[in-house]
Amino acid sequence: MGYKFNFADADRLFCNIFDKYDIYAPKKFPKQGRYSDTDIIKYAKINSINEIEFHIKSDYSAKEVLNPINETLFYFIENEFRESSAPKKPILLFARPCDINAIEIQSKIFEENGEFSDIYFTRIKNNLKFVLMDCNGGDDTCFCVSMNSNFTDNWAIAIKQLENEYLLSIKDSEFTSDFENCEQTDFSPEFVQQNTLSVNIKEIPNKEVLNKLKEHPFWLEYDKRCISCGSCTVSCPTCTCFTTRDIIYSENPKVGERKRVYASCQIEGFDQMAGQKEIRNKASERMRYKVLHKYHDYKERFKTKHMCVGCGRCIHRCPEAISIVSTLEKMNNAIDEILNKDIQE
Amino acid sequence: MNKDIDIKKLRLNCYRQSKEVGKFMLQMRVPGGFIDAKYLSIVQHIAQTYGDGNFHFGTRQTFNITGIPYENIPEVNKYLEQYIEEVETCLCDVNMNTIAGEEAYWEPQSGYPTIGARNITACIGNYHCICGNINTFELARKIESIIFPSHYHIKINISGCPNDCNKAHMCDFGIIGVARMEYHPERCIACGACVKACEKGATRVLSLNENLGRIEKDACCCVGCGECVRACPTSAWTRQETPFYRVIIGGRTGRQTPRAGKMFLNWATEDVILNTLKNWQKFSAYVMDNKPEYLHGGHLIDRAGYKKFKEIILDGVKLNPECLVAENIFWDETEYRSNFNVKPINLHK
Repeated sequence: MGYKFNFADADRLFCNIFDKYDIYAPKKFPKQGRYSDTDIIKYAKINSINEIEFHIKSDYSAKEVLNPINETLFYFIENEFRESSAPKKPILLFARPCDINAIEIQSKIFEENGEFSDIYFTRIKNNLKFVLMDCNGGDDTCFCVSMNSNFTDNWAIAIKQLENEYLLSIKDSEFTSDFENCEQTDFSPEFVQQNTLSVNIKEIPNKEVLNKLKEHPFWLEYDKRCISCGSCTVSCPTCTCFTTRDIIYSENPKVGERKRVYASCQIEGFDQMAGQKEIRNKASERMRYKVLHKYHDYKERFKTKHMCVGCGRCIHRCPEAISIVSTLEKMNNAIDEILNKDIQE
Repeated sequence: MNKDIDIKKLRLNCYRQSKEVGKFMLQMRVPGGFIDAKYLSIVQHIAQTYGDGNFHFGTRQTFNITGIPYENIPEVNKYLEQYIEEVETCLCDVNMNTIAGEEAYWEPQSGYPTIGARNITACIGNYHCICGNINTFELARKIESIIFPSHYHIKINISGCPNDCNKAHMCDFGIIGVARMEYHPERCIACGACVKACEKGATRVLSLNENLGRIEKDACCCVGCGECVRACPTSAWTRQETPFYRVIIGGRTGRQTPRAGKMFLNWATEDVILNTLKNWQKFSAYVMDNKPEYLHGGHLIDRAGYKKFKEIILDGVKLNPECLVAENIFWDETEYRSNFNVKPINLHK
């Protein structure tokens, strides 16, 4: 069972929810794209349901709501410090299945990796509900079906925007009363069954093959192609790496704040150590690190799915037109080559 | 060969005299140098039917068709009617029944009424280019109806960005698309990509303040190219929605005093550009006492002096708040004839 209502009625119906929640959703920012006269779609706090971009995939992912690009952890004055405050209101987050699944991967890293849970992440996540946005299969960079992230049941409300009206389905009884006077209709969310893009990622059977794969020459292509800008990891809904930065107010170094800021394994200096030494000096090495982390190491460690939901944002945002799917196909070929050689030997 | 041809009249009709007496080269206007590819068949037809079968990309982005015999010109002009109608009247909203804004009957089958205001050239701009800040040919089409038809000579080049591939610095009135940037510190990861891009490709106005984890900008010397936006992985730099323009005046090639143009306006909006150009006829008429000569815009600015030029060309133009206007211009010419400005008083005009 579901409900339907017109665009004009949307904000009236959501008004109680707007009072109680901060609503975040993908929103179009005209002409803020990388190239002139192109738009950008990113997550923002919205004040009207009609502001939401329902049909075009956002350039940046929903992770920015739980894990902002810049986040103040605490403020310090001399020897004292005060933790930054948590958001005052709970959050209602509009997201497609890929992004909802990605938040679960974020949670693995922030909450289950190591011995403590990251309070800054957890305090938002525990106070957040999802509105599942209908997805028609995305664009030609989407491959969620291949990554098993086309489905989710982690949602309170499901919504689909039609030409003049919205269809709604409610799972969380908290919201039932807001819509009880709406026209009823048959609506329950449907999930994408097929994307135009697909990939089948080969397992790396053992450490020996892994080590040979690391040395395989196919990675070298990225020394020439990748410019190490980090656009892929910033837009990736599953990447969690950050660095910390102390901001010093004015000329008094005793007063300031500690922030965490996104870091990217693709940007030079990511792995620079105290002695200035860097482990991965070349774009090809950084690419290899990213790919193996996402499509081997993470799964190996957590015994779960890969660290990718197939949203295709890294493909979409790459200014040098590098496709992760093509990279994975090349990696598959390299694995085959290594295995065949082993048999021949 | 016994020919009696009014060469100057044909030049005004956009047919250029050739080495071979009686043969001419047609120059078809393509405002902004961008047009539906279907018109290439018209070019081919004219070249193969009336010309010598060859074609040249005009240096001002006209379609140039060589080897047209004098006798064929009336036929070519008839054939051109459709092209002129579609390109000038429909695409650019040009009123062909005017000359310099004054009513003047034009016979549609008589070809181009004047060569005065030259074809507006443009780079491909942001229709295609990843660096472009503006749609160059759309601007060219808006300007076409302001400057054409007119016997007053003006060369306008439009470049989509400060890289100026289309040499706005080498014409009378060069227009460069620029962007004013916005910085969103909450999205900045202090990776320094913009700093490097500005250092390598622009004017080194960005630096990373390590204490604040923020980018600082010397806004004064920013050329508005948008390289920082292009380099930024997080959209911490974006362009403002309104496009802006820089105007470079008085650039030229030539035998005597070639020179690169100088900045006249910076951060002007499209309205300012169009309204400024609407004063071009008035300025030219003032300098030449209403008698158009074969003398292009940069020389007119020289004759009037920059201050007078500024006074007339900006008359009634409401500048946007960001717009800057050159207080003075210090020309820097290459003189191929020393002291060529020193001449008998009767040669002074």
